Amino acid sequence: MKFLEQPPHFLFFTGKGGVGKTSIACATAIELAAQGRRVLLVSTDPASNVGQVFGIEIGNRVTPIPAVPNLAALEIDPQAAAQAYRDRIVGPVRGLLPDDVVRGIEEQLSGACTTEIAAFDEFTALLVDSSLTADYEHIIFDTAPTGHTIRLLQLPGAWSGFLEEGKGDASCLGPLAGLEKQRSQYKAAVDALADPQRTRLVLVARAQQATLREVARTHEELAAIGLTRQYLVINGVLPAEEAAQDALAKAIFDREQVALAAIPPVLASLPCDILALKPFNLVGLDALRSLFTDVAADAAQDSAAPYLDAPSLATLVDGIAADGHGLVMLMGKGGVGKTTIAAAIAVELAHRGLPVHLTTSDPAAHLSETLDGSLENLTVSRIDPHAETERYREQVLKTKGAQLDAQGRALLEEDLRSPCTEEIAVFQAFSRIIREAGKKFVVMDTAPTGHTLLLLDATGAYHREIARQMGNKGMHFTTPMMQLQDPKQTKVLITTLAETTPVLEAANLQADLRRAGIAPWAWVINNSVAAARPHSPLLRRRACNELIEIEAVASRHAIRYAVVPMLKEEPIGVERLLELANQGQTTQGV
Amino acid sequence: MKTIQIFDPALCCSTGVCGVDVDQALVQFSADVDWAKQQGATVERFNLSQQPLVFAENAIVRGYLERSGQEALPLILLDGEVALAGRYPNRNELARWLGVLVVQADAPKGGCCSGSKCC
Repeated sequence: MKFLEQPPHFLFFTGKGGVGKTSIACATAIELAAQGRRVLLVSTDPASNVGQVFGIEIGNRVTPIPAVPNLAALEIDPQAAAQAYRDRIVGPVRGLLPDDVVRGIEEQLSGACTTEIAAFDEFTALLVDSSLTADYEHIIFDTAPTGHTIRLLQLPGAWSGFLEEGKGDASCLGPLAGLEKQRSQYKAAVDALADPQRTRLVLVARAQQATLREVARTHEELAAIGLTRQYLVINGVLPAEEAAQDALAKAIFDREQVALAAIPPVLASLPCDILALKPFNLVGLDALRSLFTDVAADAAQDSAAPYLDAPSLATLVDGIAADGHGLVMLMGKGGVGKTTIAAAIAVELAHRGLPVHLTTSDPAAHLSETLDGSLENLTVSRIDPHAETERYREQVLKTKGAQLDAQGRALLEEDLRSPCTEEIAVFQAFSRIIREAGKKFVVMDTAPTGHTLLLLDATGAYHREIARQMGNKGMHFTTPMMQLQDPKQTKVLITTLAETTPVLEAANLQADLRRAGIAPWAWVINNSVAAARPHSPLLRRRACNELIEIEAVASRHAIRYAVVPMLKEEPIGVERLLELANQGQTTQGV
Repeated sequence: MKTIQIFDPALCCSTGVCGVDVDQALVQFSADVDWAKQQGATVERFNLSQQPLVFAENAIVRGYLERSGQEALPLILLDGEVALAGRYPNRNELARWLGVLVVQADAPKGGCCSGSKCC
């Protein structure tokens, strides 16, 4: 393993949820500890099973691991850190200020930025306080701060007054206002991150084109702010011998090899390790110890092909079609296949003779392009998130930022790079199309988070209040928020994968939407290996794991759900999308 | 010198970038605050979502919030007394409070109607 050679003091593993960061971080910690180094493992994974792996309770304090000499671990729960932060701010004024004021404050502090900055605050001490870390030769984190957070911390303007005096301009660093540490500490933390002698960043990816593109973006963003010492690990790659087992395994193998061959140039120059998909679950010390060694798939571990009886996407479409018109929004983390599912739903509706407008923000335009004009009743449009965000950003800088000084302008520019900005820009573009949903079906492959909706609704709430004060009962106000809250008008479908972290992330999205008074109408589990009934032992093992997650979605999270199988071919074009919607429990063995 | 205290509504950023629309008045006002500081004024800004305790501890501000709600913010106090409510002051108003002359009148046309859709 290249990333394990001459490791520096700090090792960060980064990548999107479900790629295996935590497993790799654990295995790395075990490996280095076995070499006699003293290691501290820090996990911020909300689905952290680090404690389970080592068979002890860990929690938010450094805990020695008895089963692994030289190893200690610490779990940071970013949600809990954010909650503690909210309590610090809101607690003292509860009962003193009006209730609606207190609720408003809590919402302001419920965004993703607050969570991220609160988590960063938690591990700042580990980066700078030598008394805490002197005992350890290596500190391994299963996460890394985003470029946006680090850049904010680097901007001198961000610190003007607010953090040093507790007053003045705040910007997106607002959430930091309640944090107790001094600027010098954050600066030291950022310096430690950017120092290649002390810090190594390991990008973790899967052999999928979309994932690799995303990792390439992360790489460039973090390299630009000084985290240049990066390594790449591609996890869970299907071994060649499995491809001989069945057609699905062959198709997956081919697709992965194509993705690896077409790896983005900026990643191709990084030291890279490839980890094969393992025939066992990465739970327990023995499993983790063998993560870095290639083990042949053990045929003896054979389990019966799992039987999955789950509703297909077409059964969900029955319920959508019944209302004759309306807005369908797909929601989920990047890479779970929202665009594909949106397209499959649109094609299925149009195929039934219903008028549909499919609108996507898919950066790879081929899907929408191949559909346009291909089916009566179906119109397709595309919104380019990057272009929308750029336009919004430029407009704001030109008009509102015109009179700012250099420092103020730098801060405004960074604020405009926050993830919220893209969400708002894209949503504004979509809302022009949403109005059509009164007459026909509008299917969108994206949706704003509940947090954004609540912030956007501030205007709606204001207008309603005015109407109430005027006593004008005849006047009727429909805000976008009210439309989204009415299940007759809007159906939100949560898309996820049948894996632990993606399901957990989807459940968080659902909680966030519920806070905004929106009950997701259904869940769609995409790319299910179990639904495809594989023969290959490796894929069957994966299918068995999926069943646990599918069961959790069916019984705990979703009101109604559908499972969409992993297909041999990319679901492009009308035929394959119709096939996708109608497969599922009726899938033939492939 | 005078002390100006600004009690902002709950904003996640003082520029309002995270809101529906960036509020021109906020961006302009940030620049005016800088100017007022250069004139020697003490200017303090409090964001309802970040320092709610300051709102709760000041009787004038708390009473205002109870009567008129958070929609009626911002509230501006000059040496502890209400100077303006419901909108941000422009540079001329700041100058008047501070007793200084505005050399160049590049101040905004004023008030909440600076070209946005709100009025």
